[in-house]
Amino acid sequence: MGSAHSVPAEMRELADRTGFTSEQIEHLHRRFKQLSRDQLTIRKENFDSIPDLEFNPIRAKIVHAFFDKRNLRPESDGLADEINFEDFLTIMSYFRPIEMNMDEEQLDRFRKEKLKFLFHMYDSDHDGKITLQEYRNVVEELLSGNPHLEKESARSIADGAMMEAASICVGQMGPDQVYEGITFEDFLKMWQGIDIETKMHVRFLNMETIAHCY
Amino acid sequence: MEELGSVAARVGVVWLVLVFALVVLPSALGISLGISEAYMWVLVKTLEWATIRIEKGVKKPQPQMLKSPAANGIIERDETPMEKEIEHLHRVEFEFSDIFYFCRKGFEAIVEDEVTQRFSSEELVSWNLLTRTNVNFHYISLRLTVVWVIGVIVRYCLLLPLRFTLATIGITSMIVGTTMVGQLPNSSVKDYLSEVVHLTCSRILVRALSGTIHYHNKENKPQKGGICVANHTSPIDVIMLTNDGCYAMVGQVHGGLMGVIQSATVKACPHVWFERSEIKDRHLVTKRLREHVADKSKLPILIFPEGTCINNTSVMMFKKGSFEIGGTIYPVAIKYDPQFGDAFWNSSKYNIVSYLLRIMTSWAIVCNVWYLPPMVRKEGEDAVQFANRVKSAIAHQGGLTELPWDGGLKRAKVKDTFKEEQQKNYSKMLVRNGSIGSLSTGTESD
Repeated sequence: MGSAHSVPAEMRELADRTGFTSEQIEHLHRRFKQLSRDQLTIRKENFDSIPDLEFNPIRAKIVHAFFDKRNLRPESDGLADEINFEDFLTIMSYFRPIEMNMDEEQLDRFRKEKLKFLFHMYDSDHDGKITLQEYRNVVEELLSGNPHLEKESARSIADGAMMEAASICVGQMGPDQVYEGITFEDFLKMWQGIDIETKMHVRFLNMETIAHCY
Repeated sequence: MEELGSVAARVGVVWLVLVFALVVLPSALGISLGISEAYMWVLVKTLEWATIRIEKGVKKPQPQMLKSPAANGIIERDETPMEKEIEHLHRVEFEFSDIFYFCRKGFEAIVEDEVTQRFSSEELVSWNLLTRTNVNFHYISLRLTVVWVIGVIVRYCLLLPLRFTLATIGITSMIVGTTMVGQLPNSSVKDYLSEVVHLTCSRILVRALSGTIHYHNKENKPQKGGICVANHTSPIDVIMLTNDGCYAMVGQVHGGLMGVIQSATVKACPHVWFERSEIKDRHLVTKRLREHVADKSKLPILIFPEGTCINNTSVMMFKKGSFEIGGTIYPVAIKYDPQFGDAFWNSSKYNIVSYLLRIMTSWAIVCNVWYLPPMVRKEGEDAVQFANRVKSAIAHQGGLTELPWDGGLKRAKVKDTFKEEQQKNYSKMLVRNGSIGSLSTGTESD
């Protein structure tokens, strides 16, 4: 007479690594089982069953981010076909809110991780740079629903933003200089001083049910 | 062996006589002996005791004992509209940061979404001693375990056979009774008898589920020539409603036992059963229902506009077909109390037989039925608006949340038109803010 989703020791290890509490992990585990239809792994098709997600113009990129190996383990690359619950939690932890008791170094690392996640979303060919074409892709995806907006306008928006990025990162460019793309360091530079931590997190409610004893 | 046989036969006879005297006869006469009430009282006391034991068993001091009421979910969604959010992040032009808003919305949807939640059973605040609801609760004490074991024995060995007997009696008498009444020529006597038969069998079936139903606002009960609409949680909704009055059912012809019941009952009382092929033709369906409603001597039609079973925490989109027929609509709100037994039929998880088994091994089915005042379509209101108005009234009365989504999403995907809406909104914003105009006069790079 008890509910056992995962062994407590494993749970604690997951909790330490991802920063979620054990109740949150249990809830996310239930959600994982719902999405995977009681299988051990999730594939891209499983995300089709979320109606709210269909609304989202960058849905494809978000789902892709779950299977992007760069987000799952440091120093790895490529795309996974399916992910298990641990991987699911790892991706979810990118959207964890900041805790009160974090020190400078932790905060900095946290911020870097979130920005790296975002960088991977833009950099779709995994070459470590956001090129003009990749940037245009993102803009087009966000704007594609509007029939009045031509492709040209989308392109000019992208180009304009890229120019601005170049000016921040490289400063004044000579007439022959070609800006190849935004590297991760440049990306970080762009976000200096802007508070992204509060914009890139999902707030979990504090779940304390009545009967819970350890 | 012979002795055993005769003992068993005698026990069987005593059993049947008891059932007949204590259940069937009062059902026919419409009176109540108070056995159900006594059972419910004992049940409530036991569950209260169990809850107190569970609370005592908690070692950590809890500042809040109850789950927050918004906890049909686990995340707090940020409801800032898209425009405000994006303005905060930057000036008017498109920037890298715009992606944050959509990213976050996407993640929130992945962690939980409103629609999929409605197709799984409601979670309980405190455990009701059924293993199937034991999701959050851990081992507490020996005494509680013993009570739980006794509960299992009572439910499976005592209640289940009783309920099964009653259900069999109920269904058989329904088939036999309606066939007999169906032989009579059409007259007011026939109508009266058919009502008696339907009501009696309904009452027997309610007792077969240990159902306790509280009816509110009986003065608004559906009248003849009207249409009764209600929210749908399970097939037993029908029994809950017919326990108090007679309705003309609308539905598809099935095979098997259901088909036999359908063909028997339609002889006694003008139910509207459609062949599978006829259902596809919407005009035909509407025409037949309209004819039925126009005849003021016919019983009110019972329709469930959601089209599928929802888990009784919310009301989903009402299909407009039922509201195009005309006539007076009598809305009814049905809310089950999940503490005693979960009435929701998750048709993707359980088939009808295992569902009925689960229902019959629950403690009881307790529900509240509210009859709402009749509504008619206003001038200039189209069927969709009318449907939404009725839906709000039902949701409000039953304490359910309202969702605009279609119950069909249980099986199908969202239409592409919805996705494009969001994209349109975002791009409209950019265009309005003039970023396109200002950029086109800027530099072109390639």
